[in-house]
Amino acid sequence: MDGTALKLTETVARSSATETPPAVPCAAEPMPAPPKSNLVWRWLALHRSQLRTLAIGAVSLVLFLLAWHLLTKYRVTAHVRFVNVPSPEMVFDSLTRVTRDNKFLSHLFLSCRRIFIGFGIAATIAVPLGLVMGRFRLVREIVFPVSEVLRPIPAIAWVPMSIMLWPSNEESIIFITYLGSFFPILLNTLHGMAMVDPVLIRAAQCLGAREASIFREVYFPATLPHVFTGLTVGMGVAWVSLIAAEMISGQFGIGYFTWEAYSLVQYADIALGMICIGVLGLGSSALIRGLGRVVMPWAKT
Amino acid sequence: MSSNLGRTLAALALAAAMYGSPLAARAQTVVTIGIGTQDTTTNTVTAGTIVRQLKLLEKYLPKDGKYANLKFEFEWNNFTSGPPVTNGMMANKLQFGMMGDYPLVVNGFTFQNNPESKSRLIAVAAYNRFGSGNGLVVHKGSPYFELSDLKGKLVSVPFGSAAHGMVLKAMQDRGWPPDYFQLVSQSPEVGSTNLQEKKIDGHADFVPFAELLPFRGFARKIFDGVETNLPTWHGVVVRTDFAEKYPEVVVAYIKALIAANEWFRADPKLASEKIQEWTGINKEVVYIFLGPGGNMTTDPTIKPFLIDAAAQDVKVLQNLGRMKEFDVTKWVDDSYVRKAFAELKLDYDAQLASTANYEVKGEDKFCNKPIVEPRKAGEVWVDGEGIEPLSSAACTLAAYSSLKAKGKKINVAYVFDSARGIKLFADQAYYAVGSDKTAIAPFLLKKDAEDYATKNGGRVLSFDDALKVALSGG
Repeated sequence: MDGTALKLTETVARSSATETPPAVPCAAEPMPAPPKSNLVWRWLALHRSQLRTLAIGAVSLVLFLLAWHLLTKYRVTAHVRFVNVPSPEMVFDSLTRVTRDNKFLSHLFLSCRRIFIGFGIAATIAVPLGLVMGRFRLVREIVFPVSEVLRPIPAIAWVPMSIMLWPSNEESIIFITYLGSFFPILLNTLHGMAMVDPVLIRAAQCLGAREASIFREVYFPATLPHVFTGLTVGMGVAWVSLIAAEMISGQFGIGYFTWEAYSLVQYADIALGMICIGVLGLGSSALIRGLGRVVMPWAKT
Repeated sequence: MSSNLGRTLAALALAAAMYGSPLAARAQTVVTIGIGTQDTTTNTVTAGTIVRQLKLLEKYLPKDGKYANLKFEFEWNNFTSGPPVTNGMMANKLQFGMMGDYPLVVNGFTFQNNPESKSRLIAVAAYNRFGSGNGLVVHKGSPYFELSDLKGKLVSVPFGSAAHGMVLKAMQDRGWPPDYFQLVSQSPEVGSTNLQEKKIDGHADFVPFAELLPFRGFARKIFDGVETNLPTWHGVVVRTDFAEKYPEVVVAYIKALIAANEWFRADPKLASEKIQEWTGINKEVVYIFLGPGGNMTTDPTIKPFLIDAAAQDVKVLQNLGRMKEFDVTKWVDDSYVRKAFAELKLDYDAQLASTANYEVKGEDKFCNKPIVEPRKAGEVWVDGEGIEPLSSAACTLAAYSSLKAKGKKINVAYVFDSARGIKLFADQAYYAVGSDKTAIAPFLLKKDAEDYATKNGGRVLSFDDALKVALSGG
């Protein structure tokens, strides 16, 4: 089978897969027509490793939930204490309670928007800055000390400054999520630039490439995998900063929801907020990885 | 050396085995007591900060009987609000905790679902019978002078705090709908910064922020909790599993709390200075709460009207859907505080019935009069010298001017609100001056001062103008 044919069947299989969920085993289908079954079978064979990952992932999540359930049900105390940790059922109850109106969804939506804007600005500034810093020593010498001083400051410490710096609260919040994602992106880009093989640069120079082309053809593609690592980490940190940032808002956002639950000591709601942040964080990191696969088809992920 | 030690230990072990437990039990068991304080919440300093700093608990801890072989170690944890204390107590990292009325009932309620232990209210740190201590402040330059001026405006308050309760009660009393203000939740640190930057129109908060922010110079109090007429207070809760195991320790804790109250009242000026040193809250602000005639009465007895107030708080939280069934009376346990009183030979029931605070007293050296009406008196704190008691607001203002003319530096002056009896910073008050210029009546609220002036044919003056009148009139 040559390459084109393989690709073709793959696309066919993919489009069929969108109609039937991949988890359904072929045996479950009533009287499958031979060619179709063949296709499904082939699709399964092609995606064996992904399916395997998916299945194991699902099993591990179920095991996690089960462990959580058992630990809280029997209120296990073995140095680590689960006596007052809310059970998955309690968190689920909270979820059904809060999803009765749109308020909870608007919390989620607003947080996503804040992350999106804050992260977007961070990426548009940090990536070019990192590239420039990596290429020009003077810029690096100027920017690096400042960034190293600011980098370890936790998001929560920025809260009062951020309120004073920005005219509106929304901007203050976005600023904090921006700060959270900015430094991982910058550092990883910088690291990527440092890892570029000097031989490639010299080769390009020998071939008469000018600065702009070296940048475009050598530095940028070579650094891109690191940039995406930075983006993924940055996205994670942006969510980490969210609670601190949304303390400012006093009204909306999943971080605020969690914070308010804390101030009223409602453990199930705290856990619900944590899980939501976790799931949203996972989703947004997956988006970035997906984007990475699209722009860097050559990279192995 | 080490083999010697080993031999001794072996001999000891042998002896212990031979003579049974007595010797073995002499090995001291260490019990760690975790105490969650709120250093910056001035109301609780007598239950936490002072006890810690003066090592009062060590003084009263039982040392004989079953305690002979126990060694107590303390772990003091400081927080800026109640919920983290509750969290620490739930996790059994803290056995004692102190917080304001709303967080207290949340604490009791949260513990209902804890299978290991419940929590019990064992003593009161300080209270104000009419709700002063919580307050609502606006930016100094803003055009808001009373609560209704803030209609439709952005007001922040830490949700679930005593101040939140105050705001809800004030709205309820006036029959205002829940959306009368745009009410948002902000912690004191966030709300303070937001107010300073004029991002919000008003900020309601608990002790000491409604006094601290005006004192720091950028805010003005336009509503005092006293107008809600619902008591506000701070108290001490303990885990029942600990209290049942070591009841004498709980009693000792309350004795230490009583000693801390006495220490403060013996020399309020020194105590305020010390507390500034320990907690960072300005001494002038500490003094307005805990000093003579201050806005808080320190009294460990658990008064029925405080329990009623707690029951009210539960209702408010239930209406917000934040709490289910919770019986306040079952949560209160006054046995320990009664025992502490008995052991110190104090009369619990007499103290329980009394709502008296200690008052401004002494001789007014400026007007040469004794102080007979402490809630119409005043005080001037001269930097580096002391706090002068004055017999009236007029004398206070006159003394203030003359001291200043002599080149003395004045930290702060206090007067009392003529309508509500709460202690005020003299420079933040409004003064109603009668036509004869002799009587000067200070007020917290501009509106109260205007009403009084209209009734008595006078006018309302700011602090600076009142100073001039006091000098010319006195």
